[in-house]
Amino acid sequence: MSERKGAYGAKSASDTSFRKTWDREEYAAKAAERDQKAKEEGKARHEAAAAGKKYIRRASTPEDAKDTEARKARLNVADQVGKTQLVAAGAGQGKRGKSAGFYCDACDLTFKDNLQFVEHLNSRQHLVATGESGEVRRATLDEVKERFEYLKRKREEEKARETVDLGTRIQVAAEQAEREREEKRRKRNEKRRKTKDGKGVEEIKVENDGIIC
Amino acid sequence: MAHQADAKRALDERGYQGVLIRGDNPLKLFEKPVRDRIVDSYYWKEQCFGLNAATLLDRAVELSFIGGTYGIAQKPTPFLCLAFKLLQITPDREIILYYLEHAGDEFKYLRALAAFYIRLAWEKDEEVYTTLEPYLADFRKLKRRTRESWTLTHMDEFIDDLLVKNRVCATTLPKINPRTFLEDEGKLEERVSPLGEELDELDRDDDDEGERSEGEVEELEVNGNGHQDSDSRRSAEDDEMNDAD
Repeated sequence: MSERKGAYGAKSASDTSFRKTWDREEYAAKAAERDQKAKEEGKARHEAAAAGKKYIRRASTPEDAKDTEARKARLNVADQVGKTQLVAAGAGQGKRGKSAGFYCDACDLTFKDNLQFVEHLNSRQHLVATGESGEVRRATLDEVKERFEYLKRKREEEKARETVDLGTRIQVAAEQAEREREEKRRKRNEKRRKTKDGKGVEEIKVENDGIIC
Repeated sequence: MAHQADAKRALDERGYQGVLIRGDNPLKLFEKPVRDRIVDSYYWKEQCFGLNAATLLDRAVELSFIGGTYGIAQKPTPFLCLAFKLLQITPDREIILYYLEHAGDEFKYLRALAAFYIRLAWEKDEEVYTTLEPYLADFRKLKRRTRESWTLTHMDEFIDDLLVKNRVCATTLPKINPRTFLEDEGKLEERVSPLGEELDELDRDDDDEGERSEGEVEELEVNGNGHQDSDSRRSAEDDEMNDAD
C-alpha cells in the first residue's frame, strides 16, 4: 500500500478532517452579544429594584405591529351554508391546512365550529401572524364625540328611509336596485381590466364538476 | 396609552397591574360565575374584542334590552357584557359623562349602561347621587330581560333601583350610603322632586279624602304602601258572605 486512504475512499490528510470546523470569530461575536444583553437586563433589573418595582422581561413587539381594532362587521359564519365544496382526500392534518370548515388564511388553519374559529381570531397566534400588537388604542373624548355624531346621523338616515307611503317606497327600492346594479357593473369592469386584452375572465365549465347527484 | 384587546390578562389570578377601583381590580365588581359566563359567551368573543371607548358606541347603540343573565344556562345579556367591557377599559370620567348626558338623549340603553357603570365604579356616594338623580325625570321605556321572560320598566325605575337596591342585573352593587344619611352628614342637599308643589298638593288631597270618607267606608283602609290591607279585604268578603246568607 503506497497511499493513505480513508475507509470510504476519502483522500483527506487526517483521520478527523470529516468533523465540523467551527468559525471561532462568529461564535465569539455571539457570546459578546449575549453578555451585553445580560448586562443590560441586569442593569434594568437593578434599577427596577431600586424603584421598588419588580422587573418583568417582556417579549419584544415588532416595530411595525399595528394596533388591534374591533371587528368592523359581524363574523359571517353562514356564508358557506348550502354550498358544495370539494376537499382533497389528504387535505388538512388535524387543524393544519385547508379543509372543510372555517379557514384562516393568515395561519393556514381550519376550524370546525365558529366558537373555535372566533377564539382563534382572538388568539395571540393569530394576532402575531397578522402583525397586530394585541393592544387597543385608547379613545379620546373627541373620537367618542365624532363616533356618536356618525351613529346619530346614520340612524336618522335609516329613519328617513323608513316610510309607509307606497310611492316613496317604490322610489327608494328603485334607487337601491340602481345602486346594486352600479356596484355589479363596477366589479365586472374591474375584472375585465385585470386580464390581458380586456377579454375578461373566461368561465371554465366542466361537466359534473364535483356535484354529487 | 393602550389597553388589552380582551380581558385575559386583567383576569389573570397571578397578579393585576392597572387601574384600581375601590382598591381592587374593577372586573371583580362582577361575581366570579358571571365573569366566567361573560368571558365564555359568544357575544363577548365576537363583538367585544378590541373595543375602545369610541367603538363601544357601535355596539351600545344596537342594544335593545337591559338585564343580567337569562335562560337555564344563565347566558349574560349584551348589556352585561358591555358593562364588563367598560370596567375593563375604564374610560375617562368625561367620556362616561358624555355617554350619560349627550349620547344618552339619543340612545336610551346607552344611558342605562353609563348609569350602571357609574353606580358600580364611582367611589364617592354623593357624586353618584348627584349625577344619576337628574335622570329620575327620564321616563322612557326600557325592555328588561329576566331569567325566563321579558318585563317592561322605565329609565327612572332603573335609576331608582340602582340607587336603592343592592342587586341589579346579576350584580351585587357596592355598598352606598342611603340618601338620608348623606343629608344628615351635610354632604348632600335635600332632593327637590321635579313634581315640585304638585307633590304637596297630592298629599293634601289624600289627607282631605281620608277625613271625608272615614265614616262612610270602613273596609277600605289603605296601608302605607297604598295597597288595600289584606285583612280588611278578608273582612269585606266575610261581610258579603253574611249578606248572602
